[in-house]
Amino acid sequence: MATASTVIRYEQVRRDLWRPLSGASSRYLVTLLVLSAVVVWGLCAWGYQLHKGIGVAGIRRPVFWGFYLVNFVFWIGISHAGTLISAILRLTDADWRKPVTRAAEAITVFALMIGGLFPIIHLGRAWLFFWLFPYPNSRLLWPNYRSPLFWDVTAISTYLMGSTIYLFLPLIPDVAQLAEHATGWRRRLYSALSLGWTGSDQQWHALERAMKLMAGIILAVAVSVHTVVSWDFSMSVAPMWHSSIFGPYFVVGAIFSGIAALLIVMAIIRRVMHLEQYLTPHHFNNLAKLLLLMSLLWLYFTIAENLTAWYGNEPKEMNVFGSRVRGHFAPYFWLMVFCNFVVPFVLLGIRRLRSIRTATIASVTVIIGMWLERFLIIIPTLSFGRLPAAWGRYAPTWVEISITAATFAAMGLLYLLFSKLFPIVSIWEFEPHEEPED
Amino acid sequence: MDRRDFFKILSTVSAGVATNACGKKEDVLIPLLVANHEIPPGEERWHPAVCTECGAGCGIIARVMEGERVVERNGEKFRERIACVKKLEGNPLDPVSGGRLCARGHAALQSLYNPDRVAGPMRRTSARGNAAFTAISWDESIANVAQKLKASLDDPSKILFLTTRGFGSRSVTVQHFLESIGAPPALTCTLDAFALERQAAASVFGWNGLPRYDLGNACYALSVGADFLGGWTSPVYYARQFGHFRQGRPALRGKLVQAESRMSITAASADEWVPLRPGSEPHFLVAVSRVLLDEKLARNAEELPDGAKNSLLAANLADLIRATGIDEKRVRRIARELGESDSPLAIAGASVVQTNSLDALIASHYLNILLGNIGRPGGVFPPFSSVVAAPRNANVTDAIKQAKVLLLDGANPVYSLPKSSGIPAALAHLDLIVSFGMFIDDSVAYADDVLPTHHPLESEIAAVPAVPVTPISVAIAMPFVQPLHNSRPLEQILDGIAREVNAKFQPSSAASFVLPLLQPDQTWDDVARRGGLWRDNEVTNVASRPLENNFVWRDPVFDGAAEQFPLLFQPYLSLQYHDGRGANLPWMQELPDPVSSSMWDLPVEIDPHTAARLNVTTGDWVQVESPYGALQTTAYVHPAALPGVASMAIGEGHTHYGRYASGRGANPLSIVSPTWDDSVGALAFGATRVRIARLDRPPALIQFSPNDREQGPWGYR
Amino acid sequence: MNNSNQAQHRWGMAIDLDRCTGCQACVAACHAENNLPLSDPESAAKGRAVHWIRVDRYYEGEFPDIRVKYMPVLCQQCDEAPCEPVCPVYATYKNPEGLNVQVYNRCVGTRYCANNCPYSVRFFNWFDPVWPSPLDLQHNPDVSIRMSGVMEKCTFCIQRIKRAETDAKNEQRPLTDGEVQPACVQSCPAEAMVFGDLNDPESKVSRLAGAGRATRLLEDLGTEPKVFYLQRAT
Ligand SMILES: Nc1nc2c(c(=O)[nH]1)N[C@H]1C(S)=C(S)[C@@H](COP(=O)(O)OP(=O)(O)OC[C@H]3O[C@@H](n4cnc5c(=O)[nH]c(N)nc54)[C@H](O)[C@@H]3O)O[C@H]1N2
Ligand SMILES: Nc1nc2c(c(=O)[nH]1)N[C@H]1C(S)=C(S)[C@@H](COP(=O)(O)OP(=O)(O)OC[C@H]3O[C@@H](n4cnc5c(=O)[nH]c(N)nc54)[C@H](O)[C@@H]3O)O[C@H]1N2
Ligand code: SF4
Ligand code: SF4
Ligand code: SF4
Ligand code: SF4
Ligand code: SF4
Repeated sequence: MATASTVIRYEQVRRDLWRPLSGASSRYLVTLLVLSAVVVWGLCAWGYQLHKGIGVAGIRRPVFWGFYLVNFVFWIGISHAGTLISAILRLTDADWRKPVTRAAEAITVFALMIGGLFPIIHLGRAWLFFWLFPYPNSRLLWPNYRSPLFWDVTAISTYLMGSTIYLFLPLIPDVAQLAEHATGWRRRLYSALSLGWTGSDQQWHALERAMKLMAGIILAVAVSVHTVVSWDFSMSVAPMWHSSIFGPYFVVGAIFSGIAALLIVMAIIRRVMHLEQYLTPHHFNNLAKLLLLMSLLWLYFTIAENLTAWYGNEPKEMNVFGSRVRGHFAPYFWLMVFCNFVVPFVLLGIRRLRSIRTATIASVTVIIGMWLERFLIIIPTLSFGRLPAAWGRYAPTWVEISITAATFAAMGLLYLLFSKLFPIVSIWEFEPHEEPED
Repeated sequence: MDRRDFFKILSTVSAGVATNACGKKEDVLIPLLVANHEIPPGEERWHPAVCTECGAGCGIIARVMEGERVVERNGEKFRERIACVKKLEGNPLDPVSGGRLCARGHAALQSLYNPDRVAGPMRRTSARGNAAFTAISWDESIANVAQKLKASLDDPSKILFLTTRGFGSRSVTVQHFLESIGAPPALTCTLDAFALERQAAASVFGWNGLPRYDLGNACYALSVGADFLGGWTSPVYYARQFGHFRQGRPALRGKLVQAESRMSITAASADEWVPLRPGSEPHFLVAVSRVLLDEKLARNAEELPDGAKNSLLAANLADLIRATGIDEKRVRRIARELGESDSPLAIAGASVVQTNSLDALIASHYLNILLGNIGRPGGVFPPFSSVVAAPRNANVTDAIKQAKVLLLDGANPVYSLPKSSGIPAALAHLDLIVSFGMFIDDSVAYADDVLPTHHPLESEIAAVPAVPVTPISVAIAMPFVQPLHNSRPLEQILDGIAREVNAKFQPSSAASFVLPLLQPDQTWDDVARRGGLWRDNEVTNVASRPLENNFVWRDPVFDGAAEQFPLLFQPYLSLQYHDGRGANLPWMQELPDPVSSSMWDLPVEIDPHTAARLNVTTGDWVQVESPYGALQTTAYVHPAALPGVASMAIGEGHTHYGRYASGRGANPLSIVSPTWDDSVGALAFGATRVRIARLDRPPALIQFSPNDREQGPWGYR
Repeated sequence: MNNSNQAQHRWGMAIDLDRCTGCQACVAACHAENNLPLSDPESAAKGRAVHWIRVDRYYEGEFPDIRVKYMPVLCQQCDEAPCEPVCPVYATYKNPEGLNVQVYNRCVGTRYCANNCPYSVRFFNWFDPVWPSPLDLQHNPDVSIRMSGVMEKCTFCIQRIKRAETDAKNEQRPLTDGEVQPACVQSCPAEAMVFGDLNDPESKVSRLAGAGRATRLLEDLGTEPKVFYLQRAT
């Protein structure tokens, strides 16, 4: 398989990948400014919510969870881009992964940071979020280990820790190289982060072992995290939530949206940083095929979920099912099917149409579709509970919309900053060094 | 408080005590005012009181505990410990409430502590109707009113006192005051005075007051047009009776058939609902009576006065049944079930007043005579024979137009009378309008002087319930908390005015009202401590034999051309607002309407066919237009509404009534025809035709439960 | 704690739908007793009006063969309460007398419990409550005011239970059947509601709960509610 490393000279690689780290174009600065403004706006909205009360959001009885929890599940899903993809590819030693992994792993960390905020943002008393952690206190109060929300806290903290390490490990040789060449604060930063990396065989050996190990661990954690997230819903007795399919359904959805996010990020990086030589149609083609595969899997789960509900014809479930496929939420439902299945299937399934551009388009629709999927899992069930006298409709307010917008901006912002500090494509993996034998 | 415990304690504690200020458990009723400094923190005391939220006059008990308020003196703010009323319950000793309380009764607390109560005497500062007032002193206020009143004393017949529907020490005081200045007796215009029910009892039996239906001991009840569980004469009493009727007797469950032109909560609770066309109530009752006679099921036919009997026998049954719109078989079956029941009862009411409602009420009495249940358990009982009549609800518009001075005490003619009767306009020509009310309502907005009285929970009261259960029935309250505002008892205000105009006048008090009724072994203390006097060993000297009268029933008349105004408009008394008075109570505003589940507003209820024709769905804005005006409100598509009948609860649409009611919703009474019942002159508020058109505005109905079906097949839209 | 001597009482309620008239006296009584936050048109329109007990109404059939079903719904005080295990901070739990209690100070406002209550009887404080003065003079000092961001729901009027238990203890006597009456039960004009100790087989509520018309709401979910509905006889 012809990959970039075999074609491009290492010096060239270093030059190409270090170039984006220095200087800042006016386009970069404008983008930075716009994204920062949106993030600040979102923070103001959150501040307003903290000050006035969570009631400034549109959530209400009986739809006690709204945009915030939708965003939570969505971003945790996106976070599966990195770990799963890079870990699977690393474990299977797929060589084409090399230019892709760093970008993917960064998505994971940032998406987790953002997603992990939502359970706090959505609290009625957000300032007391630390009560969800087990810590010794004079009142001998502990969190409730039986609550899926507590499992969430545990799983997400673990995942965030794990994926930060997993992003950091392969960064070490790169920052060590950067430390040699950089000056000023950058030099100090890079040498601090390089943890005394000298590139000795022993160190390489340890790094490789650590990365393999982390890949294994992170894979298990990632699968369990999204399963646990799904259990927030499926452990309940609410109609259409109480379902055994939710674990795998959520994991598949997460990988699906993760790949889509990765494709979008790659397309942007490729264009903006002029990395056409590194992120080739070959990578996009492979990822697009993966996306198509996940789309089909997603369709399978969606059909399995809905068909069983429909066939079972349980009245309480049918209220929710009906509202989705032909009632109040039907437009969103069918838009979701269009975004998550029709578009990828047509654009990527037909070989002639498959290209970087179509893969990007399909990824954008998948992102929209997967956000809608989270919305359609949460809102209809809560709107149409077991007692019809308690039904009610939800609409978000500007606060929820602002905070939602801010999280997308935050993703861009974090990425923008990250790509100024660290090479977005792993450099050392192109270096012709001795592969330690296992 | 447990009821038995309560009785036990009451019977062992000696009269007139409140000696154990602290330390002991105080489950006693204390009739005395508790000084604020004597309130032990955290301890509760119970005081007897009277509910005046509707005319039923339930005896209640009030839980008084310490509270704290901020008062301003000389520009400085102080925290002041005061005795506060925390909760109301029914007085278990009172045979009307039996220890129970309705939703309105609970909300009396929010009228006591309403933020919009008038804080002290005020004088008008701007044009009438603007409700702009400035505070003045009591002396100034009374002198001012007296001076203006003096000018009218040459012709005291031009003095009109409009009061609320209650009868008791307060109404006696008012009567004595009016007599002292030579003015005519007080009138009322509230819709929940039940003038027609009173008139029917008077014309059939010569009774003075409302009859009592002993539903709890009946086996089969046919109720026509009386929403006795919702907004009728004595909601708590009849709900208690209903509970007993249904499930209070071993192996005997009463059956209720409700014939009514709308699905009231009574119809909803009934075993069978007979949807009668509005105005066909007399026909239905006559048809049932006639079937009883025909089928020899009238066990007491001989007592029926000849005039009535002849009328019944002369009736054409087929025509009657056709007029009701009910299947003949069904009418016959109901009549047969009624006639064959061990203890049958017919109840009739005018929860919506039609031009011929009186005929239905009279017919129901004749039906009960046929069934032989007058004065028998499970039947109809005569009212307490009172010395003073309750205020009449008669020709109030004419009276207002002829008056020079209008004294308002709880009546709200601007709200209760249709615009078409020229009421707000007629207020302009008056020389003087004085209000004794606690709130600035639609009518008080026109007042020149506002002299606020204490809240009933701060007052001394003796009130005769609208539907007394025992022959002697008076609920009593002595003041037990300090008045919150600079208000005065009505007795004191009227006394002050009388002195200034040199009239001699003896105010009535709870004690003076009750003392003549006491038996030798009873003391005032005893009665005051129990919260009332209820004596049932009295021999009723009220006749239960019908008077000889002719009986004719009329077809209803509806104002408006049927082609232009195809729908019958039926404003009705609701359980949360009654005649509209409850609208300033936030607990009532947020109580989901039992029909539409609406909160903070009331929709017009239309049937699904009419709604489909008008392209209206629940929540849409509509214009309801009669020949006399139009109102705009939201629509509720009521699955149980009669086709062609648009109903609307009375309550919203106040121009002025505090922050919770002002400017909210629409007043259905504002557009009704000025049609008056021709026997007593009460407003026939169900006698108007309307048309409805959809308005192009975003839907706005606030509902607690938007969904009214248990199986929404595919989720609601 | 020793559970066996704690669980002296097991409070339950029976609601006779054949008596219930849908009058909502119970609803107003609960507001008066428990310092429920006041709604306003804006909050009510957003579905934020609070009624710890509500009267569900359903129309059945089509005109003229139509009936109305009224059903008071309050916290069912489930023995197997789905709201309890999901709370991450133990702010809602089962007390020794079988009550599902809500600890306002501990609640962080995840609203998970409300989502998992099949009866939708939980209400959230979206803002701090406001009572224009002097409406607040009516507040019951036995019941705390709930702050912004916490969940609340029917407590079976636990303050009344405690008061009665304390009184009985001080007087060194057992509680008698009917001595504890929650506000809604005490008011109900049709006497449709009966409250008492399910541990006492002779109590009125126990006898009604065992009667032929007794059912429980959404019983198939296995929540083991302690509110029993006696179905209408027709
Ligand atoms: N639900 C709930 N329960 C709690 C708490 C809570 O926050 N919530 N807090 C807990 C805590 S921290 C505490 S300290 C306890 C407090 O619980 P308690 O000790 O029961 O406190 P209080 O009810 O404040 O007061 C007890 C009694 O002392 C009386 N008293 C006042 N002054 C005097 C005096 O000079 N002499 C005598 N002999 N009596 C007097 C009062 O009238 C009152 O009846 O409650 C505990 N229980
Ligand atoms: N007006 C009035 N004032 C009093 C008293 C009174 O009776 N009346 N009583 C006095 C007495 S005896 C006492 S002990 C004090 C008590 O005074 P505080 O200690 O202030 O007691 P609480 O009001 O119960 O509030 C404790 C705080 O803990 C928070 N909390 C709940 N769970 C947790 C947790 O798991 N972790 C953490 N970190 N916080 C938690 C609650 O949100 C609350 O803000 O008040 C004293 N002051
Ligand atoms: S029925 Fe009337 S008097 Fe009795 S409690 Fe209700 S409002 Fe008060
Ligand atoms: S108070 Fe009683 S009768 Fe009225 S709605 Fe409540 S339970 Fe039913
Ligand atoms: S009814 Fe709802 S809130 Fe009450 S115990 Fe059951 S699950 Fe919990
Ligand atoms: S809202 Fe409060 S009580 Fe409910 S689950 Fe969350 S923390 Fe627990
Ligand atoms: S038991 Fe108490 S808290 Fe529960 S609904 Fe009844 S009055 Fe409200």
